Amino acid sequence: MRPVYIVGAGMTRFGRSEWPLVDLAAASSVAALHHAHLGKVPVDAVVVANMGGGRINRQTALGSALVDRLSLWPAAAESVENGPASGASAVKVGCQAIAAGMANVVLVTGVEMMRAVDGLEATDFVASLSHPEAEYIYGVTLPALAGLFTRLYMSKYGVERKHLAMVAIKNHDNAMKNPYAHIHQTVTMEGILTAPESVVNNPLVADPLGMFDCCPVSDGAASIILASAEVAQKLAAPRVLVAGIGQATDTHAVHERQDPTDLKAVRLASAAAFERAGAKPADIDVAELHDAFTILEIAESEAAGFFPIGHAHKAVERGETKLTGKLPINPSGGLKAKGHPVGATGVAQLVELVWQLRGEATGRQVSKAKTAYACNFGGFGNNVVATVLRKEER
Amino acid sequence: MGSVTDLEALLRPPAMDMPPYPPKAITLASGEEMVVRQVGREEIPTLLKAIYPLLLVERDYYDIVAARLYSELLAFQRFRVRDEYVLVGLIDGVLAGLVNGRLVDGKVGMSYHTMTIRRGLRVGSHLFAAKMEYHIEHIGQEEVLIVAESPIGFRRWMIEYPLEKKYEVQHELGGVPSWVLTRKTYFDAKPRLVSGRRPVHDNLLAGAATVRLPGEDSVKRQVLGEKGGKE
Amino acid sequence: MSHNVFAFRCKTCGQVSYPKHTICPKCRGETFEPQEIAGEGSVLTYTDVYALAIDYETRYLRLAIVELDDGMRVTGQLLDDSPRLGKRVRATIGVVRETAGTSIYGLQFVPA
Repeated sequence: MRPVYIVGAGMTRFGRSEWPLVDLAAASSVAALHHAHLGKVPVDAVVVANMGGGRINRQTALGSALVDRLSLWPAAAESVENGPASGASAVKVGCQAIAAGMANVVLVTGVEMMRAVDGLEATDFVASLSHPEAEYIYGVTLPALAGLFTRLYMSKYGVERKHLAMVAIKNHDNAMKNPYAHIHQTVTMEGILTAPESVVNNPLVADPLGMFDCCPVSDGAASIILASAEVAQKLAAPRVLVAGIGQATDTHAVHERQDPTDLKAVRLASAAAFERAGAKPADIDVAELHDAFTILEIAESEAAGFFPIGHAHKAVERGETKLTGKLPINPSGGLKAKGHPVGATGVAQLVELVWQLRGEATGRQVSKAKTAYACNFGGFGNNVVATVLRKEER
Repeated sequence: MGSVTDLEALLRPPAMDMPPYPPKAITLASGEEMVVRQVGREEIPTLLKAIYPLLLVERDYYDIVAARLYSELLAFQRFRVRDEYVLVGLIDGVLAGLVNGRLVDGKVGMSYHTMTIRRGLRVGSHLFAAKMEYHIEHIGQEEVLIVAESPIGFRRWMIEYPLEKKYEVQHELGGVPSWVLTRKTYFDAKPRLVSGRRPVHDNLLAGAATVRLPGEDSVKRQVLGEKGGKE
Repeated sequence: MSHNVFAFRCKTCGQVSYPKHTICPKCRGETFEPQEIAGEGSVLTYTDVYALAIDYETRYLRLAIVELDDGMRVTGQLLDDSPRLGKRVRATIGVVRETAGTSIYGLQFVPA
């Protein structure tokens, strides 16, 4: 198996886009291609990550569409759909092509244009990933699953709403330094939790989760350029190795999980990624986690092995996950403030980490970042892709 | 303004005694303080300037709300609508949003519009609730008739309060049948939907004495939200 | 007309699972018989969901994951004004959603 490198990364500003879907995908692709300075080296394959194109934007076969828009024929191409983990899955597919010797350069682009439809439609679209007979018919939405999970987690480990608020406050602060983030707005503990007005400021979405515990609905695209060692060696930029990717699934219906508080798929996928990377959680200098709901940043950080189970919220309280802390989590602002265009997120996490490892994350740079970790959480934790990146010294 | 001539008096509606809206302060999610207060006719020109750029913003029904609100504000200023009021939300004196409505009679209010300039902080929710608070608690009315241009926004109010159908009454905005917020529903919903502190601290109130405009570029940018794919 | 909700018992090993798996999660058997989901259990977790889909006009929906006495867990609506973790509930069948004019039946839990 050949090693795979990331040699370019780019993204659009997440938020609300006026552009058609493929234009959005093309914008981040071009940004990544420029970043890579490939010169005459051709792109052999294009992989697009997207969840809602067919339903929301009435456009399918996005891999082919993007190849055409970028004039990259006859490159191989397809779209990958793995719910909210589409991004990391698409990266995995691209890496496999290079590792197997079937490609030397692969463009991976995640794109989503969710705001083409109203909030009700967007909520229902995301809810379509739940189990149709055992969950969806009951009015289950993704926030509902998160609410069920949160109450149980709080009861078992003593996590309180204030810990969730700390995660939101941190991620909003981080996003202020990220020009690509959807939301540029700081929030305070008083405003979202402790003041009497907080019941209006931060209304319940799926109790005990409030509006500020849930990521926004965003449009956006993010791209990375994967390359073989031979191609990467000829480029001037610092080399970022895809050190390990792991993936695991769990039961579809949340109630059928062996332990409904255990993010088993995160645990297994992370363990596999670390093993392939020859690394341990303690080696990680910076992480991008999938905080579609604030509770998930806490729970994932435990399942991935960064904190003992039931202890991450105390680390959050001690400030350990801030930009200046022992393990900065979500320097980009996370899904909460950077935004969550579903198909783009998994790729955007890696874009941020590539910039961090290359020392290009101006304004929010984690010092001496050498090894990084990302967790892309599909379904409600029933399909997780974990990735470890490592900067290689020349 | 000179004295009211007989002719002008013909065109001015009689005015009910409307107790003034007591200002309140609200801590927003950002930690900023928003002062909610009533505006007088002399402040209308400033509000018109703020709304003007939104007349052409099609997204999220801003154009139609801006167009109708503009005419309502002008009519209020020039004494051509009966018993209208306007409330604004100000953050550091800068306009964050505005609401208006009028009194049909002592018992019934007619809600007109809600416009949010500073988005992402539930300013619209706070101001709509302030309007209901004014009608029910301070003026002492029994019910408020409500409709909206935005179907999604309206559905949220319909369900949130909740509102009841009062289809036998035509609403002044476009002639669609009204929904109504009753006194009882208001008080049941109050703990969840109405907030703010009175009296407003002297300094804070002084800072909200004059309505300051966000720049035109800023109004459009705030209303349209982030630029998304455009750099 | 019965609107019961069914779990599936593996004819080979007896494992009951819900929702349906075409291959038994325990023994990989492929023949099953339906088993009605009924009886009592306790609330494992619950939530009040706002921001509902277009099919719903209520302000919120109370959902729960219930652990039935026979060991199986199910998701359903919770019709209880004072929910509590661990509270005893009983499974009933009712209309849980109206989609495009069609009533959809499912599990609703009431205090036992």
